[in-house]
Amino acid sequence: MTGGRAAWMLVGAVFGLLFAAATIWLSLVELPNSDVLGDLLAGVFGMWTLGWLIGPLWGGSAVLRADHFTLLPVPRRRLAVGLLGAAFVGITTAVTALGFVGLITYGARLGLVPALLAVPVAALQLIFVVLLSRVVYALFGVVAASRAGAAITGVLFAAMLVLTQSGWMIVVAVMYSDILETGFSHATTVTLRAIPSSWGVVAVDAAGRGDWLLAVAAPVGLAVLCVLLLLVWSVELGNPRRARATIRGSAGRAPVGGGPLDGTTGAVVRKELRTWWRDPLRTTTAVVPIAWALGTVLLPLTFDARLLLPWAGPALALFAITSAGNLYGQDGTALWQTMTTGTERADVRGRQWAYLIVFTPPVIALSVAFTWWSGSTWTWPWVAAAVPALLGGGAGLIIYSSVFGMVPGPDAHKRPSNPLERADTTGQSNVLFWVGLVPPAPALAVVYLGTRFDQPWLTWAGLPVGVLTGVAVAWVLGGLAVRKLSENGSDLLHTMRTGRPAAVRNAGGTDVARKGGTAEGLSWGLGSILLVPQGILPLVFILSDVQVRSWFLAMYVRPVFGVPIAVVSILAGVALYARAVMTRVDNRAGRAGAPSPAEDREVGLV
Amino acid sequence: MEQATARHAGAESPDGDDRPAALRLSGLHKAFGANTAVDHVDLVVPQGSFFGLVGPNGAGKTTSLSMAVGLLRPDEGTSRVFGVDVWSDPVGAKALLGVLPDGLSMPERLTGRELLTYIGQLRGIEAGVLAGRVQELLDVMELGGAERTLVVDYSTGMRKKIGLATALLHGPRLLVLDEPFEAVDPVSAAALKAILNGFVAGGGSVVLSSHVMPLVEQLCDTVAIMAGGRVVAAGPLAEVRGDTTLEQTFVRLVRGDEHTRKGLSWLAS
Repeated sequence: MTGGRAAWMLVGAVFGLLFAAATIWLSLVELPNSDVLGDLLAGVFGMWTLGWLIGPLWGGSAVLRADHFTLLPVPRRRLAVGLLGAAFVGITTAVTALGFVGLITYGARLGLVPALLAVPVAALQLIFVVLLSRVVYALFGVVAASRAGAAITGVLFAAMLVLTQSGWMIVVAVMYSDILETGFSHATTVTLRAIPSSWGVVAVDAAGRGDWLLAVAAPVGLAVLCVLLLLVWSVELGNPRRARATIRGSAGRAPVGGGPLDGTTGAVVRKELRTWWRDPLRTTTAVVPIAWALGTVLLPLTFDARLLLPWAGPALALFAITSAGNLYGQDGTALWQTMTTGTERADVRGRQWAYLIVFTPPVIALSVAFTWWSGSTWTWPWVAAAVPALLGGGAGLIIYSSVFGMVPGPDAHKRPSNPLERADTTGQSNVLFWVGLVPPAPALAVVYLGTRFDQPWLTWAGLPVGVLTGVAVAWVLGGLAVRKLSENGSDLLHTMRTGRPAAVRNAGGTDVARKGGTAEGLSWGLGSILLVPQGILPLVFILSDVQVRSWFLAMYVRPVFGVPIAVVSILAGVALYARAVMTRVDNRAGRAGAPSPAEDREVGLV
Repeated sequence: MEQATARHAGAESPDGDDRPAALRLSGLHKAFGANTAVDHVDLVVPQGSFFGLVGPNGAGKTTSLSMAVGLLRPDEGTSRVFGVDVWSDPVGAKALLGVLPDGLSMPERLTGRELLTYIGQLRGIEAGVLAGRVQELLDVMELGGAERTLVVDYSTGMRKKIGLATALLHGPRLLVLDEPFEAVDPVSAAALKAILNGFVAGGGSVVLSSHVMPLVEQLCDTVAIMAGGRVVAAGPLAEVRGDTTLEQTFVRLVRGDEHTRKGLSWLAS
């Protein structure tokens, strides 16, 4: 297990425990309208189920897979039960079991019999989510092999990101509505309780009312579903080699001559566009930022706020940078053909053009449509200034990061269809997100000055400034990438070929490339939380006198103390980010130093 | 001793010293940490020769060839292609070279025709000429039937063939091929052999690495045997193998003979 993976597991466990505690707390809380509680609890169990559906997609393949056992003489049904047993072993199951204790405590409020009934029902509910998760993952593996599947993967991935980053908005929305007093509408209640993940609550509620028929029928229904899922799963185990939805190329005859795509750079642009269109990993790379941008700007609509709408285009342009920052890692050892043809410059520039061709149309379309929809006409010059700077800056940053921060993943020819098999670029993406905010800064400063001094010409001067910044950043960073690729292409190729940089093994043969991986992963995760939701946001709320408590620690004390808490939180977040960056730089310096011939020889002589 | 043999191979070249060797490796050395993969290797591939590089797994064949063609930076030593240094004048050297590495990716999401066209355009081949060459290569390699199949979905043998086609496209003077016949079916292998023999007959030079001794004996006129990162024998085929077969010489030189004779105890009776 790599350090990064362990760190994410730890972060996940901490969040899971918090969520489990929140579930139990919810089952005990006193509400003005007690009927709402069952609905809320059903909703929370629905979220647990959703987490179980999405989790495996997020984390990649399971540790134990059926194809590990294909050559062993074990009957399929027994294998299914065995793997199910294995699926229960893990932190996630333990944490979920803890969360489902909430059903028992909820039952205890209603009486002894509902509490006793809740014990087997909670266990049944746990079996249900684990089984459902396994079956959906098995079916999804078939779907994900196609382009549509890769797009769905991207949307789910982005949805997870949006919920973890901005999910607090929904909580705020619920707290500010009067649902807690009046309860949900009848239709909502009926729909919510019809979902199998709610049947546990239905059974306990029914037992509380003395409706014994429903109290028995609901758990029986859940048990029948479990048996059906087990059957589906054991059948699905039998044919893992279902025909893959093969993506086909065109039967084009003659090479294109002339036109704007003539020459070596044009050839690379054509190759890149075909790759963007045909490689499921690229599909996911393109869909994630689009879904992320849409999710982030649309979420505030849940409490009828349109303030983020105009920023859909800039948000897409920004997140595209974090998503596409490992292009050479994605294409793997195919780099050798760039090297043997000596076309490093054309390759870098071609990839930059292709990036712009892929992302410019949706960025402009989203910017125009959503700014118009928002009705906030004052945002036009801001958006117009930010978009070209973000797109051009992105074209520079992605190629710079792809060369200087390349992360090797599974080689391109060993991942024909599964977009989930990719390099872990969490660190790069985090850095790129914040660095990506730098290129539009000058243009936005010009717009700000224009607005401040009420000079329309200056306000609109942000657009040309943004264009110039974008072109400059793309040009300069691209040039640096060309030089690095021409001089150190063979080192990059070696890293991709072996999965590790040249000469990172010490004399003992242990891998020293990623020391401090766990600390680095934790620093990214905690740093983000402390910096944004616990630092910047409460500070803005306090200063602008917005009364929202939610999970913002600084909002629970008087502003006199709230401001220092938020500031300390910001500082701590920045410090953690700095620490993560330093760890990464340390590792990179170690790698960069290692392959140099002189040191290598010394190592060899020792 | 091995260096003497290598020099001997160079001196035996029919072209004498005034014409540079097709490939000359001098003191090539590469270590990965404490593990020395290639230990000061000297090799001379005379112009017009069909050169076979043989050795057991882990002997350093792939590492040597990668350094020779400019895909892996050596710790020490030089590689010259027709007298042009691969690392100080990469553009000049790479125009003379056709390379087929083993097990590397290509632009995977192109069809065979698109890949060849793409590589041809990178090499700056004029469009009319390129279309003809691409068609001819697809025909010879019998890849025309998989017109719409992306390279990522090619079988191992098809990957070898399309890789070889990209190496031949620009008319190189030296071909460096790492395991070109691995997983290639006998029919395609015969076609490949014909292409390579024709290439050598027309004045081209070929270096190939292989595990398959009979194949090397059949094709090559000059051979080198590597073991443990060193060249343990090099020279004209007849000289290196002497009165025995190449396989026997190979096994004797790399001292794997005890292994081959011992069977597995539970499968013996």
